[in-house]
Amino acid sequence: MTKKKLSYQTAYDELKTICEQLESEEVDVDQITDLVKRANELVKYCQDRLRGIEKDLTAVSGN
Amino acid sequence: MNHYSLREFNLLVKAVLSEQLERSYWIIAEIGQINLHGNGHCYLELVEKDNNYVKAKARGTIWANVYRDIHPWFVSQTGTELKQGMKVLINASLEFHEVYGMSLNIRDIDANFTIGERERKKQETIQRLEAEGIMDMNQELELSAVVQRLAIISSESAAGYEDFMNQFENNPYGYQAKLDLYSATMQGDAASQSIIESLHKIHESEWDYEAVVLIRGGGSKMDLDCFDDYELCAHLAQFPIPVITGIGHERDQSIADLVAHTRLKTPTSVAEFLISRMLTFESEINDLQEVIGQQTKALIHRQTELINELNFRWQLNTKQVLQRSTFQLDQMSHLISHKPTGILNQHLLSLSHREKLIDAYNPKNLLTKGYSITRINGKILKNQKIKSGDELETQTLTKTISSTVNKIK
Repeated sequence: MTKKKLSYQTAYDELKTICEQLESEEVDVDQITDLVKRANELVKYCQDRLRGIEKDLTAVSGN
Repeated sequence: MNHYSLREFNLLVKAVLSEQLERSYWIIAEIGQINLHGNGHCYLELVEKDNNYVKAKARGTIWANVYRDIHPWFVSQTGTELKQGMKVLINASLEFHEVYGMSLNIRDIDANFTIGERERKKQETIQRLEAEGIMDMNQELELSAVVQRLAIISSESAAGYEDFMNQFENNPYGYQAKLDLYSATMQGDAASQSIIESLHKIHESEWDYEAVVLIRGGGSKMDLDCFDDYELCAHLAQFPIPVITGIGHERDQSIADLVAHTRLKTPTSVAEFLISRMLTFESEINDLQEVIGQQTKALIHRQTELINELNFRWQLNTKQVLQRSTFQLDQMSHLISHKPTGILNQHLLSLSHREKLIDAYNPKNLLTKGYSITRINGKILKNQKIKSGDELETQTLTKTISSTVNKIK
Protein backbone atom coordinates (compact mmCIF):
# COMPACT_ATOMS: atom_id res chain seq x y z
CA MET A 1 0.00 0.00 0.00
CA THR A 2 1.06 3.56 -0.60
CA LYS A 3 2.20 5.64 2.30
CA LYS A 4 -0.38 8.29 1.51
CA LYS A 5 -3.57 7.60 3.44
CA LEU A 6 -6.15 6.09 1.15
CA SER A 7 -9.81 6.96 1.32
CA TYR A 8 -12.29 4.15 1.12
CA GLN A 9 -13.69 5.60 -2.10
CA THR A 10 -10.25 5.82 -3.82
CA ALA A 11 -9.41 2.27 -2.74
CA TYR A 12 -12.81 1.04 -3.87
CA ASP A 13 -12.50 2.74 -7.28
CA GLU A 14 -9.04 1.27 -7.85
CA LEU A 15 -10.27 -2.16 -6.85
CA LYS A 16 -13.21 -1.82 -9.20
CA THR A 17 -10.86 -0.94 -12.10
CA ILE A 18 -8.71 -4.03 -11.43
CA CYS A 19 -11.80 -6.21 -11.35
CA GLU A 20 -13.05 -4.74 -14.62
CA GLN A 21 -9.61 -5.43 -16.17
CA LEU A 22 -9.72 -9.02 -14.97
CA GLU A 23 -13.34 -9.45 -16.11
CA SER A 24 -12.60 -8.18 -19.59
CA GLU A 25 -9.84 -10.81 -19.82
CA GLU A 26 -7.70 -8.41 -21.76
CA VAL A 27 -5.23 -8.28 -18.98
CA ASP A 28 -1.52 -8.55 -19.57
CA VAL A 29 -0.54 -11.91 -18.10
CA ASP A 30 2.76 -10.52 -16.85
CA GLN A 31 0.81 -8.01 -14.72
CA ILE A 32 -1.58 -10.52 -13.17
CA THR A 33 0.59 -11.22 -10.14
CA ASP A 34 1.04 -7.53 -9.39
CA LEU A 35 -2.64 -6.80 -9.98
CA VAL A 36 -3.81 -9.59 -7.71
CA LYS A 37 -1.35 -8.58 -5.06
CA ARG A 38 -2.54 -4.97 -5.20
CA ALA A 39 -6.18 -6.06 -5.32
CA ASN A 40 -5.79 -8.17 -2.17
CA GLU A 41 -4.22 -5.23 -0.39
CA LEU A 42 -7.14 -3.01 -1.41
CA VAL A 43 -9.74 -5.58 -0.31
CA LYS A 44 -8.12 -5.87 3.06
CA TYR A 45 -7.94 -2.11 3.43
CA CYS A 46 -11.60 -1.66 2.49
CA GLN A 47 -12.73 -4.45 4.83
CA ASP A 48 -10.77 -2.91 7.69
CA ARG A 49 -12.33 0.49 7.00
CA LEU A 50 -15.84 -0.96 7.00
CA ARG A 51 -15.24 -2.85 10.24
CA GLY A 52 -13.76 0.27 11.79
CA ILE A 53 -16.77 2.36 10.76
CA GLU A 54 -19.14 -0.29 12.08
CA LYS A 55 -17.33 -0.29 15.40
CA ASP A 56 -17.40 3.54 15.58
CA LEU A 57 -21.11 3.60 14.84
CA THR A 58 -21.83 1.14 17.61
CA ALA A 59 -19.81 3.28 20.01
CA VAL A 60 -21.50 6.53 18.89
CA SER A 61 -25.08 5.21 19.03
CA GLY A 62 -24.37 3.56 22.38
CA ASN A 63 -25.90 0.27 21.30
CA MET B 1 -111.39 113.15 48.51
CA ASN B 2 -111.44 110.32 51.04
CA HIS B 3 -108.35 109.86 53.07
CA TYR B 4 -107.36 106.37 54.21
CA SER B 5 -105.13 105.53 57.01
CA LEU B 6 -102.43 103.08 55.99
CA ARG B 7 -104.15 100.34 57.93
CA GLU B 8 -107.45 101.21 56.29
CA PHE B 9 -105.81 101.11 52.91
CA ASN B 10 -104.12 97.79 53.62
CA LEU B 11 -107.40 96.38 54.83
CA LEU B 12 -108.99 97.61 51.58
CA VAL B 13 -106.32 95.91 49.53
CA LYS B 14 -106.79 92.77 51.61
CA ALA B 15 -110.59 92.93 51.01
CA VAL B 16 -110.21 93.49 47.25
CA LEU B 17 -107.68 90.72 46.93
CA SER B 18 -109.78 88.38 48.97
CA GLU B 19 -112.79 89.21 46.86
CA GLN B 20 -111.12 89.14 43.46
CA LEU B 21 -108.73 86.22 43.71
CA GLU B 22 -109.50 82.54 43.55
CA ARG B 23 -109.05 80.55 46.68
CA SER B 24 -105.79 79.13 45.43
CA TYR B 25 -103.52 79.00 42.38
CA TRP B 26 -100.94 76.61 40.95
CA ILE B 27 -97.77 78.63 40.52
CA ILE B 28 -94.40 77.66 39.05
CA ALA B 29 -91.50 79.23 40.89
CA GLU B 30 -87.88 78.67 41.83
CA ILE B 31 -86.87 78.41 45.45
CA GLY B 32 -84.59 81.40 45.99
CA GLN B 33 -84.06 80.72 49.66
CA ILE B 34 -85.45 78.19 52.09
CA ASN B 35 -85.37 78.23 55.85
CA LEU B 36 -86.90 75.65 58.16
CA HIS B 37 -87.63 77.39 61.42
CA GLY B 38 -87.35 75.73 64.80
CA ASN B 39 -91.07 76.07 65.29
CA GLY B 40 -91.62 73.73 62.30
CA HIS B 41 -92.71 76.44 59.84
CA CYS B 42 -90.87 76.61 56.54
CA TYR B 43 -90.15 80.02 55.07
CA LEU B 44 -89.28 80.42 51.44
CA GLU B 45 -88.30 83.14 49.05
CA LEU B 46 -89.81 82.31 45.65
CA VAL B 47 -88.36 83.84 42.50
CA GLU B 48 -88.68 83.76 38.75
CA LYS B 49 -85.44 84.35 36.95
CA ASP B 50 -84.26 84.98 33.47
CA ASN B 51 -80.70 83.74 33.77
CA ASN B 52 -79.61 85.68 36.85
CA TYR B 53 -82.05 88.51 36.46
CA VAL B 54 -84.87 88.32 38.96
CA LYS B 55 -88.14 89.02 37.17
CA ALA B 56 -90.44 88.36 40.10
CA LYS B 57 -90.18 87.60 43.78
CA ALA B 58 -92.58 86.60 46.57
CA ARG B 59 -92.41 85.28 50.08
CA GLY B 60 -93.94 81.92 50.76
CA THR B 61 -94.72 79.99 53.90
CA ILE B 62 -95.46 76.37 54.56
CA TRP B 63 -97.02 76.22 57.94
CA ALA B 64 -95.78 73.50 60.25
CA ASN B 65 -98.99 71.46 60.10
CA VAL B 66 -98.87 71.45 56.28
CA TYR B 67 -95.12 70.94 56.13
CA ARG B 68 -95.40 67.80 58.29
CA ASP B 69 -97.70 66.33 55.64
CA ILE B 70 -96.20 67.41 52.36
CA HIS B 71 -92.49 67.25 53.19
CA PRO B 72 -92.20 63.43 53.71
CA TRP B 73 -94.38 62.78 50.67
CA PHE B 74 -92.32 65.12 48.51
CA VAL B 75 -89.04 63.55 49.62
CA SER B 76 -90.31 59.99 49.15
CA GLN B 77 -91.50 60.80 45.65
CA THR B 78 -88.61 62.91 44.41
CA GLY B 79 -85.77 61.49 46.46
CA THR B 80 -84.70 64.99 47.28
CA GLU B 81 -85.24 67.74 49.83
CA LEU B 82 -86.75 71.06 48.96
CA LYS B 83 -83.74 73.19 48.29
CA GLN B 84 -82.43 76.38 46.85
CA GLY B 85 -82.43 76.52 43.06
CA MET B 86 -85.18 73.90 42.73
CA LYS B 87 -88.11 74.66 40.47
CA VAL B 88 -91.41 73.74 42.08
CA LEU B 89 -95.09 73.79 41.25
CA ILE B 90 -96.91 75.00 44.32
CA ASN B 91 -100.51 75.33 45.23
CA ALA B 92 -100.86 78.55 47.17
CA SER B 93 -103.31 81.12 48.26
CA LEU B 94 -102.46 84.74 48.63
CA GLU B 95 -102.35 86.04 52.12
CA PHE B 96 -102.26 89.75 52.66
CA HIS B 97 -101.58 90.98 56.12
CA GLU B 98 -101.95 94.57 56.95
CA VAL B 99 -98.64 94.54 58.84
CA TYR B 100 -96.56 91.83 57.14
CA GLY B 101 -97.72 92.42 53.61
CA MET B 102 -98.13 89.82 50.90
CA SER B 103 -97.17 86.21 51.33
CA LEU B 104 -98.02 82.96 49.55
CA ASN B 105 -99.50 80.38 51.80
CA ILE B 106 -98.30 77.14 50.34
CA ARG B 107 -100.74 74.28 50.71
CA ASP B 108 -99.26 71.69 48.40
CA ILE B 109 -96.25 71.04 46.19
CA ASP B 110 -96.53 68.90 43.05
CA ALA B 111 -93.80 66.27 43.36
CA ASN B 112 -94.33 65.11 39.76
CA PHE B 113 -93.48 68.56 38.46
CA THR B 114 -90.15 68.50 40.30
CA ILE B 115 -89.44 64.97 39.07
CA GLY B 116 -90.23 66.04 35.51
CA GLU B 117 -88.23 69.21 35.88
CA ARG B 118 -85.26 67.29 37.19
CA GLU B 119 -85.55 64.76 34.37
CA ARG B 120 -85.65 67.61 31.86
CA LYS B 121 -82.52 69.14 33.39
CA LYS B 122 -80.89 65.71 33.36
CA GLN B 123 -81.65 65.23 29.67
CA GLU B 124 -80.25 68.70 28.97
CA THR B 125 -77.04 67.78 30.77
CA ILE B 126 -76.78 64.46 28.88
CA GLN B 127 -77.34 66.25 25.57
CA ARG B 128 -74.65 68.77 26.47
CA LEU B 129 -72.14 66.06 27.36
CA GLU B 130 -72.96 64.24 24.12
CA ALA B 131 -72.71 67.42 22.07
CA GLU B 132 -69.28 68.09 23.58
CA GLY B 133 -68.27 64.54 22.62
CA ILE B 134 -67.18 63.57 26.11
CA MET B 135 -70.05 61.29 27.15
CA ASP B 136 -68.25 58.02 26.31
CA MET B 137 -64.66 59.11 26.91
CA ASN B 138 -64.18 57.31 30.20
CA GLN B 139 -65.81 54.17 28.83
CA GLU B 140 -63.25 54.05 26.05
CA LEU B 141 -60.42 53.63 28.55
CA GLU B 142 -59.15 50.13 29.21
CA LEU B 143 -59.65 48.79 32.69
CA SER B 144 -56.79 46.58 33.94
CA ALA B 145 -57.75 42.95 34.35
CA VAL B 146 -56.25 43.10 37.80
CA VAL B 147 -56.63 46.50 39.45
CA GLN B 148 -53.92 46.81 42.05
CA ARG B 149 -53.84 50.54 42.74
CA LEU B 150 -57.24 51.93 43.51
CA ALA B 151 -58.32 55.46 44.46
CA ILE B 152 -61.59 55.50 46.38
CA ILE B 153 -63.72 58.60 46.52
CA SER B 154 -66.12 58.34 49.40
CA SER B 155 -67.00 59.73 52.74
CA GLU B 156 -64.79 58.13 55.37
CA SER B 157 -67.70 57.60 57.70
CA ALA B 158 -70.05 56.19 55.07
CA ALA B 159 -71.38 52.71 55.64
CA GLY B 160 -70.85 52.12 51.92
CA TYR B 161 -67.11 52.74 52.26
CA GLU B 162 -66.94 50.31 55.14
CA ASP B 163 -68.90 47.73 53.12
CA PHE B 164 -66.51 48.13 50.22
CA MET B 165 -63.39 47.77 52.38
CA ASN B 166 -64.80 44.73 54.20
CA GLN B 167 -65.82 43.04 50.99
CA PHE B 168 -62.45 43.70 49.37
CA GLU B 169 -60.12 42.99 52.26
CA ASN B 170 -61.92 39.82 53.37
CA ASN B 171 -62.11 38.27 49.94
CA PRO B 172 -61.68 34.50 50.21
CA TYR B 173 -58.87 34.36 47.63
CA GLY B 174 -56.48 36.60 49.56
CA TYR B 175 -56.21 39.16 46.75
CA GLN B 176 -54.74 42.45 47.82
CA ALA B 177 -54.60 45.92 46.35
CA LYS B 178 -53.51 49.38 47.31
CA LEU B 179 -56.75 51.03 48.44
CA ASP B 180 -56.42 54.77 48.99
CA LEU B 181 -59.33 56.83 50.27
CA TYR B 182 -59.83 60.32 48.88
CA SER B 183 -62.40 61.67 51.26
CA ALA B 184 -65.22 63.77 49.83
CA THR B 185 -68.67 64.99 50.70
CA MET B 186 -71.01 62.65 48.93
CA GLN B 187 -74.33 64.44 49.17
CA GLY B 188 -75.80 67.87 49.07
CA ASP B 189 -74.77 70.97 47.23
CA ALA B 190 -71.11 70.76 48.23
CA ALA B 191 -70.71 67.19 46.93
CA SER B 192 -70.02 68.01 43.31
CA GLN B 193 -67.16 70.41 44.08
CA SER B 194 -65.78 68.15 46.80
CA ILE B 195 -65.66 65.13 44.46
CA ILE B 196 -64.04 67.22 41.71
CA GLU B 197 -61.34 68.29 44.22
CA SER B 198 -60.69 64.63 45.04
CA LEU B 199 -60.38 63.86 41.33
CA HIS B 200 -57.75 66.61 41.05
CA LYS B 201 -55.85 65.15 44.02
CA ILE B 202 -55.93 61.70 42.45
CA HIS B 203 -54.73 63.09 39.16
CA GLU B 204 -51.85 64.92 40.81
CA SER B 205 -50.95 62.00 43.06
CA GLU B 206 -47.59 60.27 42.63
CA TRP B 207 -49.43 56.96 42.44
CA ASP B 208 -50.30 55.59 39.09
CA TYR B 209 -53.87 54.55 39.93
CA GLU B 210 -55.53 52.01 37.68
CA ALA B 211 -59.11 52.85 38.61
CA VAL B 212 -61.17 55.34 40.59
CA VAL B 213 -64.07 54.06 42.62
CA LEU B 214 -66.88 56.46 43.45
CA ILE B 215 -68.98 55.03 46.25
CA ARG B 216 -71.62 56.05 48.68
CA GLY B 217 -74.67 54.29 49.98
CA GLY B 218 -75.92 52.67 53.07
CA GLY B 219 -77.43 55.99 54.05
CA SER B 220 -80.13 58.28 52.84
CA LYS B 221 -81.45 57.95 49.34
CA MET B 222 -81.78 61.65 49.11
CA ASP B 223 -79.74 64.36 47.59
CA LEU B 224 -78.33 62.43 44.72
CA ASP B 225 -78.77 65.39 42.40
CA CYS B 226 -75.06 66.12 42.64
CA PHE B 227 -74.42 62.98 40.54
CA ASP B 228 -76.38 64.62 37.73
CA ASP B 229 -74.35 67.81 37.99
CA TYR B 230 -72.79 68.84 34.70
CA GLU B 231 -69.45 69.95 36.15
CA LEU B 232 -68.94 66.72 38.08
CA CYS B 233 -70.05 64.49 35.22
CA ALA B 234 -67.86 66.36 32.71
CA HIS B 235 -64.88 65.78 35.04
CA LEU B 236 -65.72 62.11 35.51
CA ALA B 237 -66.23 61.54 31.78
CA GLN B 238 -62.88 63.11 30.88
CA PHE B 239 -60.93 61.63 33.76
CA PRO B 240 -57.95 59.71 32.32
CA ILE B 241 -58.41 56.73 34.66
CA PRO B 242 -61.43 54.39 34.45
CA VAL B 243 -64.14 55.37 36.96
CA ILE B 244 -66.32 52.73 38.60
CA THR B 245 -69.47 53.92 40.35
CA GLY B 246 -71.29 52.32 43.23
CA ILE B 247 -73.51 55.19 44.19
CA GLY B 248 -76.33 53.08 45.51
CA HIS B 249 -79.22 54.31 43.44
CA GLU B 250 -82.42 52.45 43.86
CA ARG B 251 -84.57 54.48 41.51
CA ASP B 252 -82.63 55.14 38.36
CA GLN B 253 -79.21 55.84 37.03
CA SER B 254 -77.49 59.14 37.53
CA ILE B 255 -75.48 60.82 34.80
CA ALA B 256 -72.35 59.95 36.79
CA ASP B 257 -73.33 56.30 36.24
CA LEU B 258 -73.84 56.93 32.53
CA VAL B 259 -70.43 58.54 31.98
CA ALA B 260 -68.53 56.14 34.24
CA HIS B 261 -66.44 53.34 32.78
CA THR B 262 -68.43 50.79 34.77
CA ARG B 263 -71.51 51.36 36.87
CA LEU B 264 -72.57 49.10 39.67
CA LYS B 265 -75.35 49.45 42.19
CA THR B 266 -73.61 49.25 45.51
CA PRO B 267 -70.12 49.60 47.01
CA THR B 268 -70.25 45.87 47.82
CA SER B 269 -70.92 45.03 44.19
CA VAL B 270 -67.97 47.23 43.14
CA ALA B 271 -65.66 45.20 45.41
CA GLU B 272 -67.18 41.95 44.12
CA PHE B 273 -66.67 43.13 40.55
CA LEU B 274 -62.97 43.90 41.11
CA ILE B 275 -62.36 40.64 43.00
CA SER B 276 -64.21 38.71 40.33
CA ARG B 277 -61.96 40.20 37.64
CA MET B 278 -58.91 39.15 39.63
CA LEU B 279 -60.35 35.65 40.00
CA THR B 280 -61.09 35.44 36.29
CA PHE B 281 -57.57 36.56 35.51
CA GLU B 282 -56.06 34.00 37.87
CA SER B 283 -58.25 31.26 36.41
CA GLU B 284 -57.16 32.20 32.92
CA ILE B 285 -53.52 32.13 34.00
CA ASN B 286 -54.04 28.73 35.61
CA ASP B 287 -55.76 27.44 32.48
CA LEU B 288 -52.95 28.76 30.31
CA GLN B 289 -50.38 27.20 32.60
CA GLU B 290 -52.14 23.86 32.24
CA VAL B 291 -52.36 24.25 28.48
CA ILE B 292 -48.65 25.12 28.29
CA GLY B 293 -47.85 22.05 30.39
CA GLN B 294 -49.93 19.78 28.19
CA GLN B 295 -48.66 21.25 24.95
CA THR B 296 -45.06 20.98 26.11
CA LYS B 297 -45.53 17.36 27.10
CA ALA B 298 -47.16 16.58 23.78
CA LEU B 299 -44.40 18.42 21.92
CA ILE B 300 -41.65 16.57 23.77
CA HIS B 301 -43.42 13.27 23.16
CA ARG B 302 -43.75 13.98 19.44
CA GLN B 303 -40.13 15.08 19.14
CA THR B 304 -38.92 12.02 21.06
CA GLU B 305 -40.82 9.77 18.69
CA LEU B 306 -39.42 11.65 15.73
CA ILE B 307 -35.86 11.35 17.01
CA ASN B 308 -36.33 7.66 17.78
CA GLU B 309 -37.57 7.12 14.27
CA LEU B 310 -34.67 9.06 12.76
CA ASN B 311 -32.24 7.17 14.98
CA PHE B 312 -33.69 3.90 13.79
CA ARG B 313 -33.58 5.07 10.20
CA TRP B 314 -29.97 6.18 10.18
CA GLN B 315 -28.91 2.99 11.92
CA LEU B 316 -30.81 0.92 9.41
CA ASN B 317 -29.49 2.93 6.48
CA THR B 318 -25.88 2.86 7.63
CA LYS B 319 -26.19 -0.87 8.25
CA GLN B 320 -27.50 -1.28 4.73
CA VAL B 321 -24.67 0.84 3.32
CA LEU B 322 -22.10 -1.26 5.21
CA GLN B 323 -23.77 -4.49 4.16
CA ARG B 324 -23.87 -3.39 0.54
CA SER B 325 -20.22 -2.34 0.63
CA THR B 326 -19.23 -5.61 2.29
CA PHE B 327 -21.15 -7.56 -0.33
CA GLN B 328 -19.48 -5.64 -3.17
CA LEU B 329 -16.07 -6.23 -1.59
CA ASP B 330 -16.82 -9.93 -1.19
CA GLN B 331 -17.79 -10.15 -4.83
CA MET B 332 -14.63 -8.40 -5.94
CA SER B 333 -12.55 -10.45 -3.56
CA HIS B 334 -14.03 -13.61 -5.02
CA LEU B 335 -13.30 -12.35 -8.51
CA ILE B 336 -9.73 -11.56 -7.61
CA SER B 337 -9.07 -14.94 -6.07
CA HIS B 338 -10.59 -16.91 -8.90
CA LYS B 339 -10.31 -14.96 -12.08
CA PRO B 340 -6.47 -14.92 -12.45
CA THR B 341 -6.33 -18.73 -12.23
CA GLY B 342 -8.99 -18.87 -14.91
CA ILE B 343 -7.05 -16.55 -17.14
CA LEU B 344 -3.85 -18.59 -16.68
CA ASN B 345 -5.72 -21.81 -17.36
CA GLN B 346 -7.07 -20.37 -20.58
CA HIS B 347 -3.56 -19.41 -21.68
CA LEU B 348 -2.29 -22.92 -20.81
CA LEU B 349 -5.12 -24.53 -22.74
CA SER B 350 -4.40 -22.38 -25.72
CA LEU B 351 -0.69 -23.32 -25.59
CA SER B 352 -1.57 -26.98 -25.38
CA HIS B 353 -3.78 -26.75 -28.50
CA ARG B 354 -1.04 -25.14 -30.43
CA GLU B 355 1.45 -27.73 -29.27
CA LYS B 356 -0.80 -30.52 -30.49
CA LEU B 357 -1.29 -28.80 -33.81
CA ILE B 358 2.43 -28.38 -34.24
CA ASP B 359 2.96 -31.99 -33.31
CA ALA B 360 0.51 -33.08 -35.93
CA TYR B 361 2.68 -31.50 -38.61
CA ASN B 362 5.90 -33.23 -37.51
CA PRO B 363 7.02 -35.50 -40.54
CA LYS B 364 8.48 -37.91 -38.12
CA ASN B 365 4.96 -38.84 -37.11
CA LEU B 366 4.11 -39.66 -40.82
CA LEU B 367 7.22 -41.89 -41.22
CA THR B 368 6.13 -43.75 -38.13
CA LYS B 369 2.84 -44.51 -39.78
CA GLY B 370 4.69 -46.01 -42.84
CA TYR B 371 4.82 -42.96 -45.03
CA SER B 372 8.16 -42.05 -46.69
CA ILE B 373 9.72 -38.93 -48.14
CA THR B 374 11.23 -38.97 -51.64
CA ARG B 375 13.79 -36.37 -52.63
CA ILE B 376 15.47 -35.59 -55.91
CA ASN B 377 18.67 -33.72 -55.91
CA GLY B 378 18.18 -33.08 -52.18
CA LYS B 379 14.72 -31.58 -52.67
CA ILE B 380 11.39 -33.15 -51.72
CA LEU B 381 9.83 -34.68 -54.81
CA LYS B 382 6.64 -32.92 -55.62
CA ASN B 383 6.02 -31.98 -59.25
CA GLN B 384 9.55 -31.63 -60.66
CA LYS B 385 10.17 -33.14 -64.07
CA ILE B 386 11.88 -36.44 -63.80
CA LYS B 387 13.21 -38.85 -66.44
CA SER B 388 14.54 -42.34 -66.53
CA GLY B 389 17.90 -42.69 -65.01
CA ASP B 390 17.38 -39.90 -62.38
CA GLU B 391 18.66 -40.79 -58.96
CA LEU B 392 16.03 -40.69 -56.17
CA GLU B 393 16.55 -40.88 -52.42
CA THR B 394 13.72 -42.31 -50.31
CA GLN B 395 13.63 -41.85 -46.54
CA THR B 396 11.66 -44.20 -44.32
CA LEU B 397 11.39 -44.25 -40.55
CA THR B 398 14.52 -46.27 -40.18
CA LYS B 399 16.35 -46.17 -43.56
CA THR B 400 17.38 -44.01 -46.50
CA ILE B 401 17.09 -45.90 -49.79
CA SER B 402 18.76 -44.83 -53.07
CA SER B 403 17.08 -45.81 -56.38
CA THR B 404 17.16 -45.12 -60.12
CA VAL B 405 14.11 -44.22 -62.22
CA ASN B 406 13.32 -46.89 -64.84
CA LYS B 407 10.02 -45.89 -66.17
CA ILE B 408 7.62 -43.10 -65.71
CA LYS B 409 3.96 -43.64 -66.14
